[in-house]
Amino acid sequence: MSSPFDQIIVNEGGEQIDELELSLLETLDHVLNRGLVIAGEITISVADIDLIFLGLNVLLSSVETANEVLRHRETKL
Amino acid sequence: MELSPENPRPAEPEIETSHVEEFVEQLSCVTSTLPSRINIDAQSVEQGLAKLVLTLIEFIRRLLEKQAVRRMEGGDLSPEQIEELGLALMRLEAKLQELKTQFGLADEDLNLDLGPIGRLI
Amino acid sequence: MKVYIYCLTEGTDALPNSLRGIAGAAVRWIDTGCFSSVVSDFAGEAVLVNRENALAHAAVVQSVFKQTTPLPFRFGTLVTEPKLNSYLTARRETLQRKLEQVRGCVEMSVKIVWNRNWTDESLHKDVQEKPGTAFLHEKRRQLMGSEARAAEARRIAVWLEDKTGEMVREKRIDTNPTEKLLLAAAYLVERGAVEQYRVRLKEAREEKPELHFLVSGPWPPYSFANIDLEFKSQFGVS
Repeated sequence: MSSPFDQIIVNEGGEQIDELELSLLETLDHVLNRGLVIAGEITISVADIDLIFLGLNVLLSSVETANEVLRHRETKL
Repeated sequence: MELSPENPRPAEPEIETSHVEEFVEQLSCVTSTLPSRINIDAQSVEQGLAKLVLTLIEFIRRLLEKQAVRRMEGGDLSPEQIEELGLALMRLEAKLQELKTQFGLADEDLNLDLGPIGRLI
Repeated sequence: MKVYIYCLTEGTDALPNSLRGIAGAAVRWIDTGCFSSVVSDFAGEAVLVNRENALAHAAVVQSVFKQTTPLPFRFGTLVTEPKLNSYLTARRETLQRKLEQVRGCVEMSVKIVWNRNWTDESLHKDVQEKPGTAFLHEKRRQLMGSEARAAEARRIAVWLEDKTGEMVREKRIDTNPTEKLLLAAAYLVERGAVEQYRVRLKEAREEKPELHFLVSGPWPPYSFANIDLEFKSQFGVS
């Protein structure tokens, strides 16, 4: 099944491969980094990424807190 | 449903640039935390935890660096204090580098992608 | 048994019978109140992140997009049907607002690279500097460089908005997502206005040849779909 995103302007062989690559990367950027999220439900099949998403909410609050503390201190200086 | 002559059906996405290689390079960075393999064994789990912990430390380390530079700019540190602070931060940076190597992690590995809220660093 | 979700729409539309999704599974609808979710059955616990699956996801959303503007889900969303239904019920109003916002629109993407040296090499380097002090001076140099780059990215975002703003209903801007990527922007543009937007964008590009552009679209509104976790994406350490 050929992808509808494989629209390419063919120049030399090298360029064609790069443009396919670019097309894929642009698509990946949209599909992987954006879109609706049902928090805590995304499981991607590699152990290290698993842990990150499961621990997402915990990680968020600790980072936000660190940020708040620093901002607070800065305004005091 | 909402399509009409004034509201045409969208074409397939087109991607256009005059600098293909440049963007391939940059977009590879953006999707660099893409896992490329399945590896659900003990070593990966350990590495996953290490990543999480080291990223937090790295984040804090960078905050400290910024704070130090700020204080230095602010003029309220003596030359001796600046030297001491600098040395301490140097050692912290080196230590973290060591830990990264021990766990076989590269710099990009520590840039957690927190989904819609963006990257950590 | 979980379902893989591709996107959310306001009503049921016809899908091509042959439409296949992840792992070649048949794509179908689930109706929950005023929403229709585009899903397919999925047997595993997690979805492999590879080219085939990512493109399958994109193709399904694109197919729906031809009929109506959906809210795309992020790749890898696996839920049970009850969980999906409770999510849709709980977030009904917000999701309806989102669907209304993107109705009749498409997403146009712009990414800009500027290969410029942002650090000022001329900053005085004292050869006699002690190591700790030299370290901090170097950090300061780097920080100033990245601050300069961030300021320029913001300026360019504003300039771009000036050029194309009329046609844009909503925008999402990411400044400096990588060191060389000055800007990654997504614009929500009404379908009828896309041509005009393209013309304006072309004019803008010609104005600044030092900027390297990557433009793509029209996309389904991936960047405008999310309702949760809408925190500031900059961990503001400035």
